[in-house]
Amino acid sequence: MKVLLIEDNEELASSISEFLGREGYICEVSYNITDAQDKLISFQYDCVLLDIMLPDGNGLQLLSFIRTERIQSSILILSAKNSLDDKIAGLEEGADDYLTKPFHLPELHARLRAIYRRKKLNGSNVIAFNEISLNIDTLEATVNGQLLDMTRKEFDLLLYFVVNKNRVLSRQSIAAHLWGDYTDNFANFDFVYQHVKNIRKKISAANGTDYIGTVYGLGYKFNTSKQ
Amino acid sequence: MKLVDKFTLWFLGITMVIIPINSVITYYSIKREIDKSAIERLKHVNVRVAEQIGKGQPPAEYTAGCRVLYAKTDTAFAADHYVITERDVTQDPLLNDNDRKIIVTSYHNIHNQYYRITSGDYVSRSEQILAGLRISIMWKLIILVAMVVLTARVASRVVLAPFNGTIKKLQLFNLKSKKRLVLPETRTKEFKELNLFVKKMTDKAVDDYSSLKEFSENASHELQTPLAIIRSKLELLSESDIQGDQAVLIADMNNAVEKLTRINRSLVLLSRLENNEYEATEEVPFDQYTKEALGAFCDLIALKELTVKSSIEEPVCLKLHASLADILLNNLLSNAIRHNMPGGTIEVILNREFLMVKNTGKAPENPTSEMFQRFKKGSQCNNSIGIGLSIVKQICDMNSFEIQYHYTSGLHILIVNFPPESHSSKLLQNDERYLHERIQL
Repeated sequence: MKVLLIEDNEELASSISEFLGREGYICEVSYNITDAQDKLISFQYDCVLLDIMLPDGNGLQLLSFIRTERIQSSILILSAKNSLDDKIAGLEEGADDYLTKPFHLPELHARLRAIYRRKKLNGSNVIAFNEISLNIDTLEATVNGQLLDMTRKEFDLLLYFVVNKNRVLSRQSIAAHLWGDYTDNFANFDFVYQHVKNIRKKISAANGTDYIGTVYGLGYKFNTSKQ
Repeated sequence: MKLVDKFTLWFLGITMVIIPINSVITYYSIKREIDKSAIERLKHVNVRVAEQIGKGQPPAEYTAGCRVLYAKTDTAFAADHYVITERDVTQDPLLNDNDRKIIVTSYHNIHNQYYRITSGDYVSRSEQILAGLRISIMWKLIILVAMVVLTARVASRVVLAPFNGTIKKLQLFNLKSKKRLVLPETRTKEFKELNLFVKKMTDKAVDDYSSLKEFSENASHELQTPLAIIRSKLELLSESDIQGDQAVLIADMNNAVEKLTRINRSLVLLSRLENNEYEATEEVPFDQYTKEALGAFCDLIALKELTVKSSIEEPVCLKLHASLADILLNNLLSNAIRHNMPGGTIEVILNREFLMVKNTGKAPENPTSEMFQRFKKGSQCNNSIGIGLSIVKQICDMNSFEIQYHYTSGLHILIVNFPPESHSSKLLQNDERYLHERIQL
C-alpha cells in the first residue's frame, strides 16, 4: 500500500514513515501543500495522510484539489484541532477519517487498514490470520470455524491486535482505540487487562493458539511466531 | 424609569415650586399697581377740588363717582402731604358686598386757609385678584405640563436617538462574530464621548478575544504536535529490542505523556468554554445522552463491581451544545466511578429539574468549597488531574445551570439544577425584537 504523508513537522513525519515502513507500506513524505500537489499529480497513492495546518496554507485546500483533479486516493486527516466543527468540516470536504493529535501509531495503522478495506477490498470483509478469522460486517469472530461469543469491545480489540501484528500495544493505545475520548477520564487501564484476559480465554476455549503475549510493563503483543 | 420621564418629573417638580412663588409676586405687584393708580387718581381729585375751592366754585360732592369731603382745618401741613388710609368695608349695605376702599386725605392752603380734602375709591379686593390669578395659574400649569410632557417625548426621540442607537448596537453586539462595532454619528458631546469609550472598549474586547482564541488554537496545535512526536517515538522505541527495566521506564514515560495530553486537552477545552465557543443552538435529548454515557462506562462499572441505580425521566430536553452534554456527563460519571470504593453504588437521577449523581466514597480531604477550582482535588487520587469538575462548573455557568455538591452519610452528591422552563423561554425572547421593544421610548 502506497501512502503519501503530508506533515510539516519533520520529526513526526519521520516517526510515522518509519512506523509505516516497518509494516511494509511505501510511505512518501511532503512537508507542504505545493510539494504534495506535485506528488499527487505525478503518482498514484492508495491513501493520503493529511495534516491540516501546513506552512503554506490549510490542508483542507488539498481536499478540494484532490476532488477537482479526480484523484482516487483515500484521505485520512491528522490534526491537532480536535473540535467537533473541524472534524465535521474535514469529513464534509471529502476526507475518509479524522484522527486528532497526539495519536497512537497502532491506532493510525488500524484506521488506515479500515479505510483501505472500505475502499479497495469491496466484498471481502473478512480478515483472517491462521485459524482466526474476523468478519467486519457481521462482527463475528471464528477460531477453527467455531464462532466465539464476543462482545463488541472484545471483537474490536482482537481486530486491533490482528491489524497490528507483532507490535507492542500499550494499554493506553488500546484504551484510546476502544473508548476514544472517554479514556480522558479513566483512572487506570485495568479494564484493558480484563478484556485481554477474556479474549485469550475465549480463543483458548476454542482450541486456538494464544498469540497474545504480555510485554512486561508496557502492554501486549500479538505474536505471529507463536505456534 | 426612562430618562425622559425623569427629566419631565424634575422639570414639573421645579415648576410646582416656582409657580406659587411666582403667583405671590404677581399678586403683590398687581395689588400695588392697582393701589398706586387709585392713589394717583385720588390725589388728582384732591388737587382739582382744591383748585375749585380756590376759584370759589363749590366743588362737586362726587367726582368720578367718589364722594369727596372737604373741611377747613387749622393744622398746617406741607403742600404735598398726603395721608393714605385703606380700610376694608366689611359690609356695604347698598351693594350687599364687602369691599376694600382707599382713602386719600390731603391738606391744601387756599387763600391762607387750610383745607382738608378727603377722597376715597373702591379698589379690587385681594380675593378678587387671587381669583383671577388662580385661573391663570391653572391654565399656565395645564399648558406647561402638556407642553413639557409632549416636547420631552418628541425632543428626547431626536436628542437621545444616538444614545438609543448606541445601546441597541451594544445589546446586539456579539464578541463571537468578531465584527467591530459601528456606532451612529452624533454631535452631542456626551454621546460622542460615550461612543468613543464604548468603541474603544469593544474593539479591545474583539482584539483580545481573537488573540485569546488564536492562542488557544495555537496552544492546542503547538503542544499536541510535540506530544505526538514523543508518543510516536516512545512507541517506536517500545518495539525495539528492550529489556524489562527499560520497558518499565518507557511505560512510565507513556503515562506521563498521557497525563500531559489530558491536561493540555482539558485546558484548551476550558479556554474554549470561557470563549463561549460552544453556544447552544438547539435542544438535545439529555435523557438519551445520559443513558449512552452510562452505557459507555459499563466496562469500568463492572470492573469496580459497582451497583448502578438510575431513574431517568423521559424526555428531558435541554438547550445545551451536544459536545458539552457529553463532556458534562462523562466528567460527572467518571468522577463517580473514580472516587468510589469497590462494591460501592452509583445512583443517577434525571428529571426536568435536575440531574443528581450520588456515589459512595471516602470523605473529601479538602474543603468542599474548593471542589470546583482548577487542580484542586477532593482526594489525592492517582491519575486524576483535578480539572474535570472545574470544566463541569464552567459548562454549568455558561448554560445558567446551578451546581451543588454535598457529602452526607458516606455519599458524594452532585446536583445540577436546570433552569426552569419559564426562565429559558424568557431567554429565548432575548431576540432583536424584544430588545427593540425594551429600548423604545
